Amino acid sequence: MPQHDPTQELKHAMAGRILVLDGAMGTTIRSYGLAEADARGDRFKDCDKDLLNNGDILSLTQPDVIADIHRRFYQAGSDICETNTFSATSIAQSEFFLEDPREKGGRKDPGFFQQVIENGFLNELAWEMNVESARLCRKMAEEAAEKTGRQRYVAGAIGPLTVSLTNSPDANDPGFRVVTFDQVLEAYKLQVRALIEGGCDILMIETIFDSLNAKAAAVAVQEVYREQHIQLPVILSAAVGRGGETMISAQKIEAFWNAFAHVKPLAIGLNCSLGPDLMRPHLEELAECATTFISCYPNAGLPNPLAPTGFDLEPQHMAEFMAGFADDGLLNLAGGCCGNTPEHIAAIAKAVEGKKPREVPTVA
Amino acid sequence: MRTIPHALCLSGTEAYNHTPEKQFLMIGERANVAGSPRFAKLVREGNLEAAVEIARQQVANGANVLDICFDDGLIDGKAMMARYLDLLQGEPDVAKVPIMVDSSKWDILEEGLKHLQGKGIVNSISLKEGEEGFKEQARHIMTYGAAVVVMAFDEQGQAASYDEKIRICGRAYRILVDEVGFNPDDIIFDPNILTVATGIEEHDNYALDFINATRWIKENLPGAKVSGGVSNISFSFRGNNVVREAMHSAFLYHAGKAGMDMGIVNAGMLEVYDEIPKELLDHVEDVLLNRRPDATERLLELAERYKGQGGKKIEEDLSWREDPVEKRLEHALLKGIDKFIEEDTAEALEKYGRPLKVIEGPLMDGMGVVGDLFGAGKMFLPQVVKSARVMKKAVAWLEPHMAAEKAANPSQRSAGKFLIATVKGDVHDIGKNIVGVVLACNGFEVTDMGVMVPCDKILDKAAEIGADVIGLSGLITPSLDEMVHVAKEMEKRGMKQPLLIGGATTSAAHTAIKIAEHYSGPVVHVLDASRSVPVTTSLLSDHRETFITDNRAKQHKLRENHNTGPKKETLTLEQARAAGPACDWESYLPPVPSFLGTTKATVPLRELADYIDWTPFFHAWELRGVWDRENKVLKTRNPQGAEEAAKLHQEALAWIDRIISENRFEARGIFGFFPANRDGDDIIVWTDESRTTERCRFHTLRQQIRKDSGKPNMALSDWVGEKNTDYIGGFVVGIHGAHEFAGELEKQHDPYGSIMVKALADRFAEAFAELLHHRARIEWGYETSDELTKDQLIHENYRGIRPAPGYPAQPDHTEKPVLFELLGASGATGVTLTESCAMHPGAAVCGLYFSHPGSHYFAISDLQKDQIEDYARRKGMSVAEVEKWLGPWLGYNP
Repeated sequence: MPQHDPTQELKHAMAGRILVLDGAMGTTIRSYGLAEADARGDRFKDCDKDLLNNGDILSLTQPDVIADIHRRFYQAGSDICETNTFSATSIAQSEFFLEDPREKGGRKDPGFFQQVIENGFLNELAWEMNVESARLCRKMAEEAAEKTGRQRYVAGAIGPLTVSLTNSPDANDPGFRVVTFDQVLEAYKLQVRALIEGGCDILMIETIFDSLNAKAAAVAVQEVYREQHIQLPVILSAAVGRGGETMISAQKIEAFWNAFAHVKPLAIGLNCSLGPDLMRPHLEELAECATTFISCYPNAGLPNPLAPTGFDLEPQHMAEFMAGFADDGLLNLAGGCCGNTPEHIAAIAKAVEGKKPREVPTVA
Repeated sequence: MRTIPHALCLSGTEAYNHTPEKQFLMIGERANVAGSPRFAKLVREGNLEAAVEIARQQVANGANVLDICFDDGLIDGKAMMARYLDLLQGEPDVAKVPIMVDSSKWDILEEGLKHLQGKGIVNSISLKEGEEGFKEQARHIMTYGAAVVVMAFDEQGQAASYDEKIRICGRAYRILVDEVGFNPDDIIFDPNILTVATGIEEHDNYALDFINATRWIKENLPGAKVSGGVSNISFSFRGNNVVREAMHSAFLYHAGKAGMDMGIVNAGMLEVYDEIPKELLDHVEDVLLNRRPDATERLLELAERYKGQGGKKIEEDLSWREDPVEKRLEHALLKGIDKFIEEDTAEALEKYGRPLKVIEGPLMDGMGVVGDLFGAGKMFLPQVVKSARVMKKAVAWLEPHMAAEKAANPSQRSAGKFLIATVKGDVHDIGKNIVGVVLACNGFEVTDMGVMVPCDKILDKAAEIGADVIGLSGLITPSLDEMVHVAKEMEKRGMKQPLLIGGATTSAAHTAIKIAEHYSGPVVHVLDASRSVPVTTSLLSDHRETFITDNRAKQHKLRENHNTGPKKETLTLEQARAAGPACDWESYLPPVPSFLGTTKATVPLRELADYIDWTPFFHAWELRGVWDRENKVLKTRNPQGAEEAAKLHQEALAWIDRIISENRFEARGIFGFFPANRDGDDIIVWTDESRTTERCRFHTLRQQIRKDSGKPNMALSDWVGEKNTDYIGGFVVGIHGAHEFAGELEKQHDPYGSIMVKALADRFAEAFAELLHHRARIEWGYETSDELTKDQLIHENYRGIRPAPGYPAQPDHTEKPVLFELLGASGATGVTLTESCAMHPGAAVCGLYFSHPGSHYFAISDLQKDQIEDYARRKGMSVAEVEKWLGPWLGYNP
């Protein structure tokens, strides 16, 4: 059955109130104190490389933990939770399962990545991770909807990859790229198909460090929609540095909007890399030019190894900042990235409740 | 509801929005193997570095979009497109602009799209192969996110006539907008610019057909843009560049009026429309607008005369010498050419009879044009100052003739009399000089009293000459107090004329809060030289009352904001000290300098020149941006500004050569190291390593703003250990000779040279400070000599800092005498301190050296009474005295 397109109901809801996203998957996972053996489970116990940092694999080996995290975010007030699929592509998973050619004096290049995207094991793994993650989140969304009588949504998270289409890792050859656009496109298409298969309502291209990687993801989404004759809302979110440029490809805010306006995203926004204070001027710039909804889920301040979450800001601080953004008419979708626990999201949800959402400007 | 205007929105790493009020989108077309033989050769030879340089130059020259084309039989277009675009992505200066991927082959266009992170333009697609393929290509482009150029071509071929052009463009537009869903703002039509004057009658109306089709498209296809390849039009005149350039300009002029938005055109193959000789223009327009049947023959005939001329590439065009004397004077003023100014002025005197008539007539008219263009942002400060130089030379030539005239006619007319001075205690005058020059350009009679002028002298002079406006300038903070003093004195004397306030430390808020209150006449803050003219003009115009009322209202608002605005949360001194940084002094071993005491330093200017940081130099000339050392371009939003900066840089280098060859400047400096330890917020300097006898003591100030981020509240003393064997350094450098050289140039009526010399002296002083700090770090033993590049040095990517008294980390200028005394600096370097603790000569830098790896610059503000009292006690000064020196940094009203 083709997926139901929730664009209209989401637009309607977002015109009336600020919707709430979830918080940090990674930060919250760490609070469960899992060990390497837990991450591997039985299935990957013989894997050569450590898997504890492969958070997405937990959807397969520790589904109860991931489900619990989704449950807690929905309970905290999230209207939309993101699936645990930030790195669920063959390209990203190759870091955990293939031997790095550099260890034997080789290098990562399009030849290597061609093997990656043709690797049956990686493709099946990526497929399964996305489908299972989406189903887990879907289940929790439905549970929360049933309990509270409020519709909840599942956004399929599409992360930035560990390779860049705009940058050369070879100082002697600025024209070199480790991977090709078509390879990235293929990997993303598989992820998109699987996320849809698992029942996502929304696709979310996020933590965009590199706008050309994101462009490949956006093309993948549109091409899959066309081949399956479906249409689901898309949200785009960039990770910018202090100067307001995407962290790897150095694209400025308005240039980023111009490059992605054609996708007609449900929302465009910023996440990760900065705390809300440093993100503010860039969010203002985006809110000034974007003719669609604005999303924002900053880190909980700057990294602070001494804090329990690893980040500076506590729930009430995040809530204050997000309330300020809302008061200044900058917000339609609010959440948190690294360092934001369910407690943070509960505080944010409370803080933006009843606040007027940003009015979307029109082109005239 | 907020609306955003329709525009063709593009991007590289930066956005470029072509809104309707923007005149013409400049497409750089040199990175095109079809259009540029040089580019084609570089690509075929595989010299892609040089090929990338071509792209960079075009961006530096102001291209809004770069056209990239590899359609050539000997080049693998698809692979080259990919590689070239990837290379451009690695060049930040180039990557910022949107790219136009140009090819007649679809697979190359498709490849191009896969290498653009921003929103570019695909050039081009058409209905040539039918509707299905066209739609498929358009959908593909839309999926990637790009604008598209559509050629007026269909299944039957290329549209030549007006009817064909509008039929095909109209059809393509409807398909794109209605069926494909393409954003109309992203559609660009190329309705084919075809060659005229071929001798074939059917071709005679081609130019007009394009122009009319353009008008139709703009009126009937909302959002759509029009582009075209301009050089086609003149193809019949290959080899005759004068005629071709005239044709291109005239064609663009008419097509532009009809609404053409952009074009592929070689900027080097364009004459300025207004400068095409009249006869040639007439003949060219006869052809383009198809005004007479024999137009082609007549143009061919005329063209014979221009054959073989290089067009505008002729080295020096002296044709303006043929113009009447008024035009010649205007030209000389506009272009800043002083070569013929004396003979032209003499001729004008002969014609007008009286010197004053020459000044008030053609010379002031010419300067009026300069003033207007500057006001409209079409000329830049360096050009204006050059104009002023020409003006001064003309007036100087007339002066002997005017002596008699003046006696007979004492009431000379001028726009107004402006008295300007740098206040007592301050020696900085570059900005002030620029204001003087710009005002003089605009017809004001400017009396410049120079630097360090006491209040009484300024006011006496104002009375003597009957000044209409008084302008005060100052760079260091004590000058702010002196300005308040002048305002009070003006009030006492019952003066009424407007008082203008300018200079680096001044601000609209300070002027409103501290100065305006003491004077009942108008007090206006002037941000920079370009603002000085409108402000002065308004103050002397019939609308002065409105302007003054406005100004007062603004100042009232600023005062209110100041009084009621949110106050920053501050800490008590005790709390601030407790919130100081926690350094692990136990395990820290301070580096030991290779010598103790002082060493004099003299450095050849040539060596210093390498250390110059140019960015502030351009700021002095009101050209904003960041100087890219490697590529020698000013990175700025304004392409003409960048061009002007490049010229200015060349001239500055020539001045440096002259300064060096004529031995104009002398660089003298001293630096030293001393055993030192922290004592609370003070730094004790010991007489020797026994660390028993105090030689002197530096006092530092601590930040008192409450910081949310958990960052410490800094004071400079935090970077010196309390108990260990730590050291502190200090330095003073000065550049001598600028004042004298500038004075000489002023006598030669060269304000441009005078400002240039002073601006360069400032840069040399900063460069000297940077170089000496580099040496000091090596002497201190924690840096090796070749560890850092000059670029890294300029960007301060090194350990340790050299904060100067009077600057943000320690804003108290009275710490300078302590430093000078310690180093014996005045004797060693000839740099002295004024009563306001400004250094003389003005091109001088001093500071302390700190070596701690954690040391960094920070800013003091909102000092509280408890710290001021404590500080006054430590320094042995009265609280009132400290408050006077630290006025702008107080967080309370004393």
